[in-house]
Amino acid sequence: MNPNTNITEKEFENIERYLSGSMSPEARKALELKLKNNSALLHYFNEHKIMQEAIETQSLKEQLDIYHSGISADKTLKNNHIKVISFPFKKMIAAAVLIIALGSFWFFNLSSNNEKLYTQYFKADPGLPTTMGETNNYDFYNAMVNYKQGDYTLAISKWEKLLNTKPKNDTLNYFIGVAHLANKNEKKAILYLSKVTNNTLGSFTNEAYYYLGLAHLKADNMELAKKNLTFSTIDNSKKILSKLNN
Amino acid sequence: MQKRNTKNNHSVIESIKNNDSNTLKQLYQSNYPKIEAYILKNNGNKEHAKDIFQEAFLSVWKNVKNDKFESQNDSAIHGYLYTISKNKWLDYLRSQHHKKTVVVSKINHFEAVDTNLYENDDDILKEKRLDSIMHAFKGLGGSCKALLKKFYFEKKSMMIIAEELQLDAASTRNKKYRCMQKLRTLASENNK
Repeated sequence: MNPNTNITEKEFENIERYLSGSMSPEARKALELKLKNNSALLHYFNEHKIMQEAIETQSLKEQLDIYHSGISADKTLKNNHIKVISFPFKKMIAAAVLIIALGSFWFFNLSSNNEKLYTQYFKADPGLPTTMGETNNYDFYNAMVNYKQGDYTLAISKWEKLLNTKPKNDTLNYFIGVAHLANKNEKKAILYLSKVTNNTLGSFTNEAYYYLGLAHLKADNMELAKKNLTFSTIDNSKKILSKLNN
Repeated sequence: MQKRNTKNNHSVIESIKNNDSNTLKQLYQSNYPKIEAYILKNNGNKEHAKDIFQEAFLSVWKNVKNDKFESQNDSAIHGYLYTISKNKWLDYLRSQHHKKTVVVSKINHFEAVDTNLYENDDDILKEKRLDSIMHAFKGLGGSCKALLKKFYFEKKSMMIIAEELQLDAASTRNKKYRCMQKLRTLASENNK
């Protein structure tokens, strides 16, 4: 390999034309004959081919990094797709939960605005203070303990036994009614609370109207709910009324 | 009509042979993500993926140029590129495996096997020469490099290049001749 093998520009152009195929068949034959007899020229010829290939290959090689930088953004996007497969799953579940939550909210909302208002305001009467030693009313206060503990069913059964002996006792009727309402039995609550409100002078009348109103509200008896609530002077009665009238 | 050798045949193969930049770019960008996904799945990283894919891309391009790849349809080239990339990656994994398990004295043996890829000594010499010229071209000065790239890689006509360089055709031709001489000298010097 002699780098000093120099050829004229004309010979150089001849080789270029030969390699690019833009030479006449006669000129091609002439050059081929020349190459056969001139080893230095043949060497140059072969070298020239390698040089062309090297320039092309190196140029392309440098070009590849440019192509590559062009896709780097898309590429990472593509890679993310693999990770994302599990991601939307979580998202989908979250979305489903949200839809169910919103759906049920809407459903219950639709089914009963009254129910909502009821649950917002209903709070069982705190009951009467239970002091030990009042032997007369032992059974009553024993049930009151159950009532305060939230065991409404047991309290009701105990109070109903007492009610058999004193069917008109408004304290009994009142607490049995409220206990039934707290136990989500508004129909029975209405039954007992109505007895209390029949006695307009009873000490629980005012409260009884309030709970009776709530019971009717829960039972979706709008007119009776409003009517009973108007008879009660309790603040909450007025609040509920104003909401019902809106 | 910037290209020399413009033919009626506008197939992908023909475009690749002409180094059509849009075709090459598309071939690269549409196939790389698949190869990267494959290599990442098979114990490789992004650097491996880029190196292996570029090596494969150059092989495919070279084989197309030398008519070693003949396809019935344009889409076959994508499968070809994928297969070559995959094989290169498997070769790489295998060679790494050998390096870990084979004693040092046997490595020469593997290198010898590797060189058998070339058909004869002339091919080995040619490859070595190609490498040194490529290296020389990489470091060639700006204006010569640009001119040679325009002519041999972009395959622009002398007229177009002359216009771009604001020279007349004869001067451009002469410049190209001198740049080639310069490249030859540079490559031979590097080889010493």
